[in-house]
Amino acid sequence: MSPRIELERVNKHFGPVHVINDVNLTVQEREFVVFLGQSGCGKTTTLRAIAGLETIDSGAIRIAGRAVQDTRPEERDIAFVFQSFALYPHLTVYENMAFPLRATRTPRDEVDRTVRRVAEVLQTSHLLKRRPSALSGGDLQRVAIGRALVRQPKAMLMDEPIGSLDAKLREEMRVELKRLHVEQGSTTIYVTHDQIEAMALADRIVVMHAGVLQQVGSPEEVYANPVNLFVAQFVGSPVMNVAEVSVTGQDGAARVTVAGAAEGFVFPAALIDRLSVAGAADKPLSLGIRPEALEITLAPQDGAIPVEAHLIEPLGSHDIVDLKMGPGFLRARTRAGLVPGPGTQVWVRADAGRAHFFDSGSGQSLGVRL
Amino acid sequence: MAAVRTTGEVLRHRLAVVSLVVILFVMLAPILWITATAFKPRNLATTVPPTVFFTPEVSPFVKLMVKRSQLREKPTEEQLAAAPWWERLVLEGGEKVVRSGKGAVQPSGYPSRFLNSLIVATVSTVLAVSMGTITAYGFSRFKVKGEDDWLFFILSTRMLPPVVVAIPMFLMYRAVGLNDTHLGLIILYTAFNLSFSVWLMKGFIDEIPKEYEDAALVDGYTRMQAFFKIVLPEAATGIAATAVFCFITAWNEYAFALIMTNKRAQTAPPFIPSQIGSGLPDWTVIAAGTVLFLLPVAIFTFLLRNHLLRGMSFGAIRK
Ligand SMILES: Nc1ncnc2c1ncn2[C@@H]1O[C@H](COP(=O)(O)OP(=O)(O)OP(=O)(O)O)[C@@H](O)[C@H]1O
Ligand SMILES: [Mg+2]
Repeated sequence: MSPRIELERVNKHFGPVHVINDVNLTVQEREFVVFLGQSGCGKTTTLRAIAGLETIDSGAIRIAGRAVQDTRPEERDIAFVFQSFALYPHLTVYENMAFPLRATRTPRDEVDRTVRRVAEVLQTSHLLKRRPSALSGGDLQRVAIGRALVRQPKAMLMDEPIGSLDAKLREEMRVELKRLHVEQGSTTIYVTHDQIEAMALADRIVVMHAGVLQQVGSPEEVYANPVNLFVAQFVGSPVMNVAEVSVTGQDGAARVTVAGAAEGFVFPAALIDRLSVAGAADKPLSLGIRPEALEITLAPQDGAIPVEAHLIEPLGSHDIVDLKMGPGFLRARTRAGLVPGPGTQVWVRADAGRAHFFDSGSGQSLGVRL
Repeated sequence: MAAVRTTGEVLRHRLAVVSLVVILFVMLAPILWITATAFKPRNLATTVPPTVFFTPEVSPFVKLMVKRSQLREKPTEEQLAAAPWWERLVLEGGEKVVRSGKGAVQPSGYPSRFLNSLIVATVSTVLAVSMGTITAYGFSRFKVKGEDDWLFFILSTRMLPPVVVAIPMFLMYRAVGLNDTHLGLIILYTAFNLSFSVWLMKGFIDEIPKEYEDAALVDGYTRMQAFFKIVLPEAATGIAATAVFCFITAWNEYAFALIMTNKRAQTAPPFIPSQIGSGLPDWTVIAAGTVLFLLPVAIFTFLLRNHLLRGMSFGAIRK
């Protein structure tokens, strides 16, 4: 039975740095949770605290209902894949993978069977006799995961296990990790700073920033309803456009004008009511809109405003076009080759249903959706 | 190494090889000299100019090992015929082998001194390295209050020239009865090497990523097990290097051995030159004693050469 992992008001300081700030989180049985955050936001520290490699200042950590914050790592029955792999250089791959089993005095033939079976699953059978120094990055990663799997752990903690691989290998590994999780069903916490990896793997994503959990939710939820500007701009690629805007009523519609721009996007009039219900009528507002929610046409059309295309990034399947708007730019996603070149006059329309409004001061989402 | 070389590089390479050979020869000359002397007949040992070509003999080594006394007259034919080959070598040198009442050959002072050296150097090396490793591990892995001060204090024990403390040490040792004991020398050499061992090992253990132990800990090992199964093997290179240094220091130590020991626990360094003074010096025997004395360090270093040469940069940690 895979355990549930609970963090309750966990705090941790490194000197003056508040590395884990009042974190509450419940990871359900068999769930795959991804910690997503920038470098240095405390992901590794949180994971190490769960594993018992780092003490916490206050709060409780429960694994399968049992409070473990004061127990030693070896008593927690958790497997850990390290950011650095941490394969022992003086042992062969086989011995590295057998190492956790030897701790529990597993009979020799069972060790052998388990190691070979796991090696089979991870396609590392041909590497068993080698030493870690003779392995490629991808192989090292497989072996590191293999070492975590041999014990058939109830819970797996993985710290950016594929962070150092090249893009193609990463994609392959992602699929494999997902498959392994489906097969093994162990409760997994996975750390990454790559939001695509997080979206692809997670049952739920936990977005962290400076030791604080920003948002916990399914990938779709985090993507579609970011709770604040940090999450909005951290999840999704290319990054969500965010601009200070003013909202005015005009001709039975709402006009959302980027500060400094000549013309505003046309939104349904209901926006004005909803904003005042949300108590944002006279606060500085930010509009957040993802590039794919901006529609570009070469000819004028209803509700579209004219802008000048600036830079065009051709990405094969689609283009990303920078549009000059006020003092800055908005980035829009278009069909490949739609905009012929920089300087083209185009018309842009915002999809009101996919627009987000944030309180510029606090960065919090106003929860206003159309 | 670059596969393609320019002419200049080739030339520089050759020059380097030539100068290394010259340096090597200069460095090895004393050893060649002493080794040659150890195999020379006694009358060729001190010729001027030195004899380079001679028929090697093992008589110096035989003489080194047994207790001898001067013969007043030349050995008789029967005496020579009755003696085993090695005793004949001594007799031919105008000396006889001293035997006990029961006829057992009496050894010279050398074998016991050599054994003392081995015991004292080995035990003190093992102690200094193991204590140093554990101490270094503590400093490396745990927050120790005043860590820098402690480390400086440990190092400071090496700052005083040993000779300065020789007399007080001697008086202390005499008071507690450690004079001329193996234990006394072992304690002395261990203490002397410990600071060095701590510092060296700390450097090596700092290089071992903490994640190795962390991995062992989450895999169900205790810290003690992690230390023995992971840290020690990873630190093998450092342990070997430290052990060689400690062994050499203890093996070659002269001043304290001279002052603190005279017979029972005397080591080879003070013994070998003391032979010069007793009777006419037989340089071949002294050379033989020196050559044998050089061997253990050479063998020890040779056995550990793989560890000493292996770089520290073969880990599987991505930085
Ligand atoms: N042992 C330590 N002592 C002091 N500060 C530390 C220690 N370990 C981590 N920190 C600090 O705590 C903060 C969080 O570190 P952590 O390693 O958890 O970040 P991370 O999110 O895993 O980053 P990355 O993506 O770079 O791995 C950082 O500011 C780091 O400098
Ligand atoms: Mg990290």
